[in-house]
Amino acid sequence: MTQSDYILTGFLGVSVLLALAAGLLRRKAAVKLVALLYLPVHAGFSLWGWMHEGQTTLEYFTFDAPGLLLLSVLSLLAVTTVLHGFSYLEESSPRAYSIYHAALIGLITSMSGAYLANGMTIVWIFVEATTLTVAALIYHDRTRLALEATWKYVFVCSVGIALAYLGILFLGFTLKDARLLHHSFDSLAGIAGKADPLYLKVAFVFVFVGYSAKMGLFPMHTVTVDAHTVAPPPVSAFISTTLMNVGFLAIFRIYRLFSATTILPFMNHVLILSGLLSLLVSAGYMLKAKHNKRMLAYSSLENMGIVAIALGVGGIGYYAAILHLLLHSLSKAGLFYQIGISHKVMGTYQLDESGNYFSLYPAGGGALLLGLLCIAAIPPSGMFISELYLFKALVASKDFWILGAVLFLLCFVIYAMVTRVLHILYSQPRQKPLWDTVPVNPWQSASQYILFGIVIYICFSQPEFLRNAIETILQTLPGS
Amino acid sequence: MNILLIIVFAVTLLYLSMTERFPIYASLIGLQGVLLFFLSLLELNTITLATLIFVSVETLVFKVMVVPWFLFRIIRKTGETKVHEKAMPGFYSLFFVTGGLLMSIAISFSLAATGRSLIYFIVAFFAVYTGLFMIISHRKIFSHLIGFLVVENAVLLLSLAIGAEIPMLINVGILLDIFVSVLILGIFMMRLKQSVHELTMLRDE
Repeated sequence: MTQSDYILTGFLGVSVLLALAAGLLRRKAAVKLVALLYLPVHAGFSLWGWMHEGQTTLEYFTFDAPGLLLLSVLSLLAVTTVLHGFSYLEESSPRAYSIYHAALIGLITSMSGAYLANGMTIVWIFVEATTLTVAALIYHDRTRLALEATWKYVFVCSVGIALAYLGILFLGFTLKDARLLHHSFDSLAGIAGKADPLYLKVAFVFVFVGYSAKMGLFPMHTVTVDAHTVAPPPVSAFISTTLMNVGFLAIFRIYRLFSATTILPFMNHVLILSGLLSLLVSAGYMLKAKHNKRMLAYSSLENMGIVAIALGVGGIGYYAAILHLLLHSLSKAGLFYQIGISHKVMGTYQLDESGNYFSLYPAGGGALLLGLLCIAAIPPSGMFISELYLFKALVASKDFWILGAVLFLLCFVIYAMVTRVLHILYSQPRQKPLWDTVPVNPWQSASQYILFGIVIYICFSQPEFLRNAIETILQTLPGS
Repeated sequence: MNILLIIVFAVTLLYLSMTERFPIYASLIGLQGVLLFFLSLLELNTITLATLIFVSVETLVFKVMVVPWFLFRIIRKTGETKVHEKAMPGFYSLFFVTGGLLMSIAISFSLAATGRSLIYFIVAFFAVYTGLFMIISHRKIFSHLIGFLVVENAVLLLSLAIGAEIPMLINVGILLDIFVSVLILGIFMMRLKQSVHELTMLRDE
């Protein structure tokens, strides 16, 4: 075994041990310590990965740029999610506290595995593992709504993953040898070019539809919306960002594998169509959203639609897709944390019962306003830059009708988002909330300011390491 | 022999689309498990002991015994024995599913599949269609679970079509999927009970 084999085995082993410890311990302080111990382990693993970029370990994992970039975002958001979880779980029973943290460590580890997996079947196994672990987190509150959302999530994700698996099997069929399926993506690249294009198209459609459940993209987007509504806010932050990134990466790796074949235009059409339909659905539902978390969930659908369109357009759109994905992760996580805090302050997630948030909790109000600027891609948000790149790509490819459709639908999305957030911040509640408000420490909003600060910084300057990493990811894509 | 088993499998799909009683659903899922077990044995040319054990666990233990046992237990516990009265009547279901069969045949021919793989493709596509059709057209969550199990069986059927030597990693994947379907969905079904015929609490205003 090589050094990297030991590191990966050690990381997986320590993660499993810490998850078990968190699940078995019944003292909250001890569980908290275990969760805090996991954070440097994960961050250290990400850092080690960057230092050994390109290495393949244990045959099935590679520390490549796309995996490492998303792993680093996960390391960052793991810190904020764990810290916000402590605050959210103050009133929980010791048992619920333990289960939550055990499942959270399991989820972070499964997502890390999915990011670094270099073969189709191993990606699929880790994606399945994320479904199992996140189910325990969505069901945390043990309410009827939580049960319904969990059941729907597990059910539709399982159907989606089964469809993705059919796609993988199809690829095995077209490659004439099923054993090739557990070869790495890189080694399959040459073989895919010789495969029957019709079979490749069928395989891509199955994989795309299947993993769209994880990416939260049309047509399998509904489950993630329901899951967001009832999951604890720190978990919603994960589902909406790092878990969607798992779905994106699974689709992106297949896209990159097939991009050298003749089915590239077909894949682009599928991505653009799905992206436009995601935008359409999100615009429609955001206009009627009466639940603050549900509104953010539809915003995630909209942003995944933008990512899919950017990927489908190609050229500078590829760069826009990756940048948008990263910035969306930071912005949306911050917004979910803040909406979670707003529930404590206002006692509700219902839009009609929300209001006056700025005067009730100025630190949170400021963060929510900043978050609105970031997610709506209003300058100085970094997402403004990624959307600008997308429009540039659409103009360059002369896809004016797609540009028109995207701009038209974005108007509705921005209108819905801005009016609702401004209502939460400044208006009087339309209905009296059922619960009393609780004073919240302003420091609880600090992490959101940091996350939004990074998104705003990217608007003015993109660090060289980030540009290099994205360019490395896009190296093998045609016309990038 | 293989062809005969696959045709019987297709007939079970047609029957599933027509019937309205949950115990029959559970029995048909068990029967599909038996058919898949024999098909697996016939398709695997060089059977090692490990493969034999794996295939037996996957099909005979899970699909023939554990899954139907779970389904019957859910039926007993919830007292639900029939599909929702507002579900699509059997005749119309049969009409749509027959259309799905014709579509599966058309797709399989357009993929230029021949001989043994052609019949596998037709029935696997048909099973995916039937499973998804049950999920979409039925209102009770028990029917949704049956639809999912049918899609799972389609996956196994297609994996048999791609060749005799299925990598162990794929088998582990299938086993993990069965684990998810039986344990997680089963547990939630138990907790949801009959009070929740349809899942409609989470919706947009």
